[in-house]
Amino acid sequence: MMTLIRRELLDNLMTFRFAAATFIMLLLVVANTFVLIIDYERRLASHNDAVKMHQRQLQEKITYSAGEVRVDRPPNPLSIFNVGFDKRLGNEVRISHRVVPSLWDAGMHGSDNPFMDMFASMDIVFIFEVILSLFALIFAYNAFAGEYESGTLRLVLTHPIGRGKILVAKYMSAMLCLIVPLLISLLLSIILLTTSTAISLNSDDFLRIGGIILTSVAYLSVFYLIGLLISAATRRTSTALMLSMFIWGFLVLVYPNMILTVVPRPESPDALRTSAFNQIENIWETFDKERKHYLATDDFPGEDWGYELRGLGSRGANLMGNSQRLLYTYRSVMNFEGFGEKDEPKMPHAQKHFGFLGAQTIDAADRTWLIRKPALEEIFIQRADIERIYLKLSPVGLYDAATQAWAGTDLLGVRDFFHAARQYRQSVINYFYDNKVFESRQWFAGDKGEADWSGLPQFSFQRDDINTNAKRAIPDVCLLLMINVVLFIVIFLIFIKTEV
Amino acid sequence: MWHIAKRELYDNLNSLRFALATVLLLGLMLTNAAVYLHEHPKRIQKYNASINEALTGVTTRAESLYTLAQEGPGLLYKKPSTLRFCAEGGEPFLPNVVGGTFLWSSSGGLKGFWRLNYPSTSPNLTDIRPNVTKVDWAFIIGYVLSLIAILFTFDAVSGERERGTLRLMLANPIPRHTVLIGKLLGALISVSIPFALAVLMNLLVISTSSTVQLGADAWGRLGIIFFIALLYASLFLALGLLVSARVSRSAVSLVILLLIWVTFVVFVPSTLASIAGGFSSPMSTDELWQRRGELYAKRWERYDAYFAERVERSKEIQFKGEHVIAEAEEQERVNEEHLAQQIAQVKFARGTTRVSPIAISQHLFESFAGTGFERHLQFLENARTHARQFRKFIADTDSGDPESSHIIGIREGMSEKPVNPAAVPKFEDMLNLSRDFNAALMDLLLLVLLFVVLLSGAYLAFVRVEV
Repeated sequence: MMTLIRRELLDNLMTFRFAAATFIMLLLVVANTFVLIIDYERRLASHNDAVKMHQRQLQEKITYSAGEVRVDRPPNPLSIFNVGFDKRLGNEVRISHRVVPSLWDAGMHGSDNPFMDMFASMDIVFIFEVILSLFALIFAYNAFAGEYESGTLRLVLTHPIGRGKILVAKYMSAMLCLIVPLLISLLLSIILLTTSTAISLNSDDFLRIGGIILTSVAYLSVFYLIGLLISAATRRTSTALMLSMFIWGFLVLVYPNMILTVVPRPESPDALRTSAFNQIENIWETFDKERKHYLATDDFPGEDWGYELRGLGSRGANLMGNSQRLLYTYRSVMNFEGFGEKDEPKMPHAQKHFGFLGAQTIDAADRTWLIRKPALEEIFIQRADIERIYLKLSPVGLYDAATQAWAGTDLLGVRDFFHAARQYRQSVINYFYDNKVFESRQWFAGDKGEADWSGLPQFSFQRDDINTNAKRAIPDVCLLLMINVVLFIVIFLIFIKTEV
Repeated sequence: MWHIAKRELYDNLNSLRFALATVLLLGLMLTNAAVYLHEHPKRIQKYNASINEALTGVTTRAESLYTLAQEGPGLLYKKPSTLRFCAEGGEPFLPNVVGGTFLWSSSGGLKGFWRLNYPSTSPNLTDIRPNVTKVDWAFIIGYVLSLIAILFTFDAVSGERERGTLRLMLANPIPRHTVLIGKLLGALISVSIPFALAVLMNLLVISTSSTVQLGADAWGRLGIIFFIALLYASLFLALGLLVSARVSRSAVSLVILLLIWVTFVVFVPSTLASIAGGFSSPMSTDELWQRRGELYAKRWERYDAYFAERVERSKEIQFKGEHVIAEAEEQERVNEEHLAQQIAQVKFARGTTRVSPIAISQHLFESFAGTGFERHLQFLENARTHARQFRKFIADTDSGDPESSHIIGIREGMSEKPVNPAAVPKFEDMLNLSRDFNAALMDLLLLVLLFVVLLSGAYLAFVRVEV
């Protein structure tokens, strides 16, 4: 057995293809790691700038109602391996008591030139996707067919060794050869990562990278086995080679790009959208009615929500909605620096009103979210998930999905941030309640003491620990491994029945 | 020579790769046609609806010349190209509209005038669908056809040498360059048969559909695209011959070719683009907002300083009008500057990717299909021209009204008579063919040059082949 492995290994190691594979992998991975690190550093810098800017903008606001708390999503350092949704989806969310934030309400900072999105973005997993599969097939196409043609297969089989052992030896040695360039190039890129000062990887991150490596090996093995299968079935090197190349072209180039245009897109559930939006509108209409009712029945004559306050500053209020994203909210902002003498008696009325309005707005926003969340899920997420399943029908899609899950740049990973943002909103609201911010004079006026933003709870987003990543990645990795096992069994059966 | 080409052709026609290539290309092209027929009518419908909406807006605003001038001609839409199936050209990442804004300024009660404004966010911020390339002709030709070309020639010389037939052929009194050209022609014909078949099927499906009309101009463009595709394929055929002549074993030749192909076709364009993009850092959106705010504040400071002392009525209107116009012009200039910096960055990145033949061919397909970045620049240019026309129209109409005091920018100084909506210039987004040719000429020359270099390389290598 060991002799067999050694023989195969030497056969493979001394070939031109091995040298070429190692060289090209190193070249591409190292060059791209450089580019990706620079790109990551740029994104991190723009994230830090945005955080600072949002802090500053918040401090400048003298009233609570004018203040807009914003939180920013930091770039994920593992996006170097698989960029996933990290660059594509919004990375800045407005935290407000008026609306529960979701992925669809996010803005984007740091993408300074949207035109640059025209160029396909690269990551290390994409390089592996293309190169590893190609090399696996190049290593495999003549494993049986070549020996069959040159007659050495007959020679080997005359020895009293089981055919299963020969198969295993071939598989092991070729995989060893293929893993070497993979590991060396990954090692180099990890070294490059650690030399960059902007990137700090913790132990969880290294485990995640370990997961990515494991998945890469499984992916590599799938393509090697596909090559072996072709080689065992065709028995001619030239045929095996042609078939391998076309199958590679189909699986790697054509299928992932074509499948989504071929399968019919599920129709956009317009009825659901309309009905959900109507419900949401109803909530806010009720809210508006109650608001007006309050204004009409309170001790102060007139129905002006601003209590006819006149002074230095600005005020504004509106209901606004976006039926596409099911967004609906009521916004009232007052930003006064000072009032006249005759406004003072109105103050208690105004304060009481804003206290009432704050609680009402939060309530309406929370009820809106109860309708909005499942509707958004069905309109956007479910349809995208169905498409993702189609993509996973090819090993390339599985590999991509699994590595995204490991890196935490998949949709779920990005949505974790919005989950954290919603929790943060709750803590901001609690802070507002605890400090009676809604009823305070600082809610609408900065003349007697400005809004104090220093006590506001701080937002920090920690990516989930490795367990979460593993939980999301393992199903896809298992599928990859299963494909491996099935292919191996099929090859074994074919090889057993081969007549030499 | 024809004899050799014919022999190559017959060899190829019977081979597995020919069958596989035909199936693959046919499948891709038919998919392309089906998707296009599904999507294009919707696109056109949406475009027409938006155009009509914009026209209705103009009609309502035309009740008064001042309102029309202040609120502007509405949104300007990019006309979708009929040949979008040839090259998607990153259209989903390009905005299809140039906006205009006007603002209600709170201090002083002056309304800001209309100015051009360019959408700054990419349109798919909330798109959570999986990220895939569109299967357009540019993809099929750029990736699949080039791979097929390599698979057709990797053993052209080395395979014959292995089998020993090369010696036989060279024993005949035929000069070597004839053999080489014959081989190239044979391979080219055998690659173009499945490709032409697939293209024909694609066009057949598209042209039989009643929803899409391809004009004579479009057919001309398609013809050009087809020839560029053949040129691009022969580039890879020549590369295949070159490597195959230099290397003694066809397996090694294939490995080398695949590596070159993967590097230059798959990786080089995006890597180079991101490297090149890193060299310049255009004005960020935050900076843009900041500069706009500064200019706005400065303009208003000047305004307040002017009115600090009493001014007579006629001069007041004059100054207010100038203030409004200057404010709009300033803001528009900053917008332009921001856009120009972004465009410069993209242009540089696109220029750098020309190292790779696939980028060159993609640029060519885009310019002939009327999509992509160059087309977007044309659209922006059209929008600017329209803005100039629109302003000239306002000035002309205003000077035609004897009651107006001809101070544009403020209600009191302008004609308030209703305008005939039909007389307002309409925005029409036109494609300019001659400009396409000029833009494409450079790329075409590069492609030809590359082909000549590779072919002469193949010739030199083949001449020195020892049998």
